[in-house]
Amino acid sequence: MRVAGGRAESLSLAAAGAVVALLVVVPLVAVATRADTSSLGVLTQGRAWVLLGRSIVLATSVTVGALVIGIPCGAVFARARVPALRSLFALHLAPVFLPPFFAALGWFHLFGARASGSSVLFSPAGAWAVLTFAFAPIVTGLTAIGIRALDPSLEEAARLVARPWRVVTRILVPAAGRQIAIGGLIVFALTLGELGAPMFLRVDVYPAAVFARLGGMDLQLGEAAVLSLPIVALAALLVAGEARLFGRSHAGALTLRDRARESLDLGPGAHALAIAAALVSMTPLLVLAGHGMREVGRVGEWLGSSIANGLLASLATATVATLGGLGLGHALGRGRWMARIVTTALLFGFFVPSAVLGVGIVAAWNRPSTEVVYGSAGILVLAFLARYSWLSIRVIAAFVAQRSSTYEEAAAVAGAGYFRRLARVVAPMERRGLVLAFGLTLVFCLRDLETAVLLYPPGGEPLTVRIFTLEANGPTRVVAALAVVHVAVTLAALLVVGWGFRGSRA
Amino acid sequence: MRVNADSTLFDRLVSVRAIYWVVTVALGAAVLNGGCRRATPNQVVVYTSVDQVFSEPVFRTFERRGTQIRSLFDTEETKSTGVLNRLLTEAPNPQADVFWSGDPMRALVLVEKGLVERYIAPNASAIPEQFRAADGAWTGFAARARVILVNRNRVATGDAPRSIRDLASPQFKGQCAMANPLYGTTTMHVAALFAAWGDADAKAFLQAVKSNGVRIASSNGEVKRLVASGEAAIGLTDTDDAHEALEAKAPVDVVWPDQEGLGTLVMPTVVVLVKGGPHPDAGRRLIDFLLSAEVERRMAEKAAHMPLRGDVTVPGVRRIAEVRAMQVDYQRVAAEMQRIQPWLRDWVGL
Repeated sequence: MRVAGGRAESLSLAAAGAVVALLVVVPLVAVATRADTSSLGVLTQGRAWVLLGRSIVLATSVTVGALVIGIPCGAVFARARVPALRSLFALHLAPVFLPPFFAALGWFHLFGARASGSSVLFSPAGAWAVLTFAFAPIVTGLTAIGIRALDPSLEEAARLVARPWRVVTRILVPAAGRQIAIGGLIVFALTLGELGAPMFLRVDVYPAAVFARLGGMDLQLGEAAVLSLPIVALAALLVAGEARLFGRSHAGALTLRDRARESLDLGPGAHALAIAAALVSMTPLLVLAGHGMREVGRVGEWLGSSIANGLLASLATATVATLGGLGLGHALGRGRWMARIVTTALLFGFFVPSAVLGVGIVAAWNRPSTEVVYGSAGILVLAFLARYSWLSIRVIAAFVAQRSSTYEEAAAVAGAGYFRRLARVVAPMERRGLVLAFGLTLVFCLRDLETAVLLYPPGGEPLTVRIFTLEANGPTRVVAALAVVHVAVTLAALLVVGWGFRGSRA
Repeated sequence: MRVNADSTLFDRLVSVRAIYWVVTVALGAAVLNGGCRRATPNQVVVYTSVDQVFSEPVFRTFERRGTQIRSLFDTEETKSTGVLNRLLTEAPNPQADVFWSGDPMRALVLVEKGLVERYIAPNASAIPEQFRAADGAWTGFAARARVILVNRNRVATGDAPRSIRDLASPQFKGQCAMANPLYGTTTMHVAALFAAWGDADAKAFLQAVKSNGVRIASSNGEVKRLVASGEAAIGLTDTDDAHEALEAKAPVDVVWPDQEGLGTLVMPTVVVLVKGGPHPDAGRRLIDFLLSAEVERRMAEKAAHMPLRGDVTVPGVRRIAEVRAMQVDYQRVAAEMQRIQPWLRDWVGL
């Protein structure tokens, strides 16, 4: 029996749709209306397509690299019998929660200061390496989740007839194919939209062409909007791919069943791989830490209120996204078509270049009547919601889809209305999903640079922005020390969420 | 949600009620954070494209006089969408009171679009006339200049470039660096050349520079790094970047180009009062402070900005009278900058 959504659910979804329209659709329309027929000419120029081709090649090669690194690492971190496995896994995952620009800065301090290293780092190959190492942990994490979500009985049956590595390659990895593919899609999308690291490494990419219309002396909103069209088209393809991969089932998409099972003995190579993965992830961060160590005492002079600014906006966003995501994620997990439409709109917010979305938000929200929002951290919260709430909804939907609707049906039969079922049945049962959604949204907001730099209120810049603006002519060691502080703040936030996640298993 | 005896601390933390309070407090704090600030009369909002590392200490000094500053930073180095474009986008509902631009061009774009309030500061009279508008639309101070940084290990003293045209010289083929001319002071420099030489000559020069294998760096700071490390023999950059290289004891010399001919491009930082800003009186007070001898001296000491006032002298920093400056009509250069943008995007390949 399918629990009827009822009028309350329909109205709620309609309200959510209206909010999403305000957050994503209205800003994008505000930008699109600036495009006239003359702006379309920019797409007839060959160099735009050359840059797009170059960006697609970069995104594809980074995705391939991330898959090559992430799949074996994911298998090892999910199932190998290796000392300190969890710690190594955590270290390997660290770059996911930082802007790739920071990693580029770390690699620069290691190699770029020397002429020989610089020629490699400041090249397409250097950009590929930096982005691959920065994004590979996404594939690792999703591969590990996919493998751990597999029914243990399948693995146990395979172990009776096959050696451990054969179990990994023939059973576990293929079974996690859907999660791996999603990881590849996310890496592709993030690379395609990445501007800071390629620009720092002097590699021309397509988002730079969009940005040149927004950051140069003549503001060309129309051309920027037109140049965004191929990205939007690619985003639509990714949306279709994502829908095809996930479908309605969300099976095991982001669950952590974590049923006890014996680890696999994958040999000494597995240990070496786990250590190497952690080392490669941590190298740029350790270099930054080493570089900034001598200036740690001066960090206070330059921090201002940036930590509080970033945390406040990120916490508010994560809270609202999780609460809103409860309703939308529940509806999506139960296959409601309205929820699918709303989530698709939000996915565009995730994929469209942040510069375009940011300019649209300024155009849509900078009005006397919305002054209290635009002139405060509220505008950051709105922008973060437009960009990242898709993540929280997806996570919650995956958890909801995993669970039978029996309890909700029982509550409905007993007379509980929609909101009461959400609050008293769904929320308590999906606490782990809510915590994971909260944590993911929080760290994506904390790591954000390209959205915040466009919209932060005067005096309200988060730490990522402060580091970025100080990087120009600021004392390099202080900048490195600030980056280390950012890492510490993010890891502290992760620890708190991780503690919550553990608590939710109780 | 009822919490039973077996529930963990976490269960209590994620109770619906707790979530409600987290939302309420977080959103309330966010709104109050902005709303109260907006309502406070004794504050001023300043947008600046002067490097944060130099401008923020100046703002802190001003704050000690009793007016709170809310600042929004951007530098040409960071390639963020830029305070100029934010000011333009916000024009229907201005958020800033003061714009302190790292070069005259951005400020003049605002003047041209009618977005500034004219204000003649009492202490502006100490600034030479060519660096301020007679009607108070804009006022320049603390200037930078465009110089050529030369790596001593790669270029003998006698072979050092003397003119901007040497960037196209076969002697430096594959050894020059300059910042992306779509952004920052390099845009102004290129536009000034268009204004001085005309389209044909300027385009020919830039094509020759490109053919000469110039390395396009992401910023003037990056040009400094390339020359200081010896990856490039010479590079076009700003005096503040050159000053940093000298302070770091890098093996570099600074050449002030075209001292026998065209002159070196001098770029004052410029301050304007934004029309319709929320705190105009505090904005005027901030402008008065920025145009003081105290700030010019500080900018000279910390960032090697050239003092424009006659009464400020800092050892090791050239004064405007000691330089053969390129004769520039800033208004015309501002117009050129906007006109040549499509051509520059072609030149860069974007």
